[in-house]
Amino acid sequence: MPLSSHKTAGKILPLLIVGIVLLIGGAVYFLTKGSAFSNLETLPAEQYLNKPADFLGNDYAIRAQIDSQINWQKGLGRILAVTPEGSSMRLPVFVPESVGGNIHIGQRFEMRVRIEEGGLIYVEALRKY
Amino acid sequence: MLKRYASISLGLSVAYLTVSGQGMPSSPTPTAPVAQMGGSAPTSGLFESNTFLESANRVFDPTSDSMDFEDGSFVWKGRSFNLTEQRAFRARFERFLLASPSEDEEQYSQLMDDILERLSVANNNSDEAMFDTWELLFRASRFDSDGGNSVVLANQVFNAWRIRKESRGTAMSQRELEQIRVTQQEIVANRAATLRRIRENRLKQTSVSNRDENETKVDPDSALTSEDAFRALDLAETEAKIVALEAQTALTGIQAKIQFQSQIVSFFMQRRFQHALILSSFYQLIFKGSQQQLEVGKDELTAFFPNSDLTFTVDTMSFISREAINDVNKGVESVNSAYSEGRSMIALERLQETFFLGEYLPELNRIPTEQRRHMLDLYRGMIEAGELAESKDYAGVGELVESISQLASDFPKSRIISSLESAKSASDMAVFAASQYRNLGDIDQARAELQTAMEIWPLNPAIREFQQETTKLATAGSQGVQVFDDLMKREDARGIYERRLELGFALSDDEARRPLLLEVVDQVARIELLVKQSEELVKQGNPYAAWEMLAEAAKIGPDDGPLNRARADLAPRVADFVRYLNRADRQTEDSQYAAALAAYLMAQDVYPASRLCREGVDRTAALLMSVLSKNAAAVEVPETLE
Repeated sequence: MPLSSHKTAGKILPLLIVGIVLLIGGAVYFLTKGSAFSNLETLPAEQYLNKPADFLGNDYAIRAQIDSQINWQKGLGRILAVTPEGSSMRLPVFVPESVGGNIHIGQRFEMRVRIEEGGLIYVEALRKY
Repeated sequence: MLKRYASISLGLSVAYLTVSGQGMPSSPTPTAPVAQMGGSAPTSGLFESNTFLESANRVFDPTSDSMDFEDGSFVWKGRSFNLTEQRAFRARFERFLLASPSEDEEQYSQLMDDILERLSVANNNSDEAMFDTWELLFRASRFDSDGGNSVVLANQVFNAWRIRKESRGTAMSQRELEQIRVTQQEIVANRAATLRRIRENRLKQTSVSNRDENETKVDPDSALTSEDAFRALDLAETEAKIVALEAQTALTGIQAKIQFQSQIVSFFMQRRFQHALILSSFYQLIFKGSQQQLEVGKDELTAFFPNSDLTFTVDTMSFISREAINDVNKGVESVNSAYSEGRSMIALERLQETFFLGEYLPELNRIPTEQRRHMLDLYRGMIEAGELAESKDYAGVGELVESISQLASDFPKSRIISSLESAKSASDMAVFAASQYRNLGDIDQARAELQTAMEIWPLNPAIREFQQETTKLATAGSQGVQVFDDLMKREDARGIYERRLELGFALSDDEARRPLLLEVVDQVARIELLVKQSEELVKQGNPYAAWEMLAEAAKIGPDDGPLNRARADLAPRVADFVRYLNRADRQTEDSQYAAALAAYLMAQDVYPASRLCREGVDRTAALLMSVLSKNAAAVEVPETLE
């Protein structure tokens, strides 16, 4: 019987270790993912509107409410007008089709954006808050 | 071309002078058709003018309905009196209005009343009393108001008395002749009896003896026959004299009666009603009751009683004369009442009727001097306004209407002003139509419309302006081509627009330049319209919408002077909005569509209703998507190749 008990314990332990590793890995993944928005600077909307070219190539986080949809093209994405928190001005943002799901007017999103050529605010990721 | 406009200018000048000289159009012309140029020109004719004239004739005719100066008659109780011509009546009426009641006239009035009272059948009608009354007529004749008619009346009475006296003398002669005739008849009768007795005696003697001697002696029988014949002749002569006297008496009586009655009728027809009444009273006292039936003036009286078969007497004449005097009394009362109530127009109309009927009656003196002067002013104003209306001097009529309405509160001022304005408008519309036709190059229609305008209102100032403008255009037309080319070279669209009228004339036959002219004029007209709309929006407190109008106009003609002045004036009030829009435009030009889109959104936040922003957002969003689409396609191709 002792021999069979050792055999059983030898099988359970690796499984337990794998489970713990997976658990830690998952936690690390989610923690890493959340810090992808929170670590970014918030886009200075006023400065951007006055001189968009100064912000080309930068990544920012934007917490904003959807004001309206300006344009949509199938397979490409949509251009939205959003109102950033703490601002009365609206910004145009492009949400690629691969990023956005169902987006409704009035919803609030936290977005990770990059300022692309021509001053385009390109949304790389977003999530509701 | 130049000749054609010179022709219209000259032709119209001649037409204007002709019509002005005549004072009024000779005959109405048919209504001209409607001109078309960006709208319909008015249809004008003589309807308005005629309406005004009819209205003016009614309003400014101070005479009453009972007066007809065309027939020269005045109708009272269905009877026409001779009014003579209007000018003469007006002179007499104005003389009355200028005169003041005098003490003499008051005394004359009392004297005439006294004479009438004395002749009343209720008073003493002895010959002596009648003679005393008759003498009063000479006193009455000394007054100016009497006009010597009392003397005529007195003479008529005297004539009747003389005829009556002669008639008495004739009656005496007739009685004497009748006595002679009786005597002569007796003598003739006695002679016949004597002759019969002698014949009987002779027959007895002749049968007894001296039959032979009969042939040698004088026959006494023949002597008696001759005397008898003479006596019979005397008797016949006497009888003839009696018949002649009787005939003479009858004739004299008839003559006296007819003369008397004729004078009564004459006084009546002259509207000397008091004199007619006095003479009628004398007649009734002088002639016996069986002589009261009228032999003359029956036709005149029949007019007062058209549907009756009455036997007209001197009493009838008295009755109508008294009726006329009563009517004048009532007329004077109504004039004074209307005047005291401020109804001067009614007072004037009634006064004219009353004046004409009672011109020679002292009752008219109850109208005070001040009232007469006021009505004289009103009467003169009405006459003058009527004459001005006839000559179509509407400006003059308008001024007089004001002064007349101050004199008479019941004057229908609004009615005449309304008619006046209608006529003026009709003339103005015709001038406008003439301008439209002229601008279209339809000279005949332009001339016809101008003719119509002149017929309605010859003194219309717009006619002179039209002529001056036409002359100016005709002169400028010759240089039009050169001017247009210069302006086009300088791209001075506004300059072309401002001289469009003369250039239109000059280039009306120029197939190459005319379309260019129309295009430029259309562009500037649209700019002009937008600038005007912008001004209106600024007044309404909407500067952003105003700016959008100007921005729209700038797309048509960005170099237009008045437009840029308007933009410069408005820009400070919409600075933020303009700044964002300008930035959006600039970034669009640089293909920075995302930045342009952001600028449009900012501008839209300033003025959410902005059409420019809405269109800009749509446009730049589409451009942006287009670029993104191209970029996406460019990325996919290398991946596919890999």
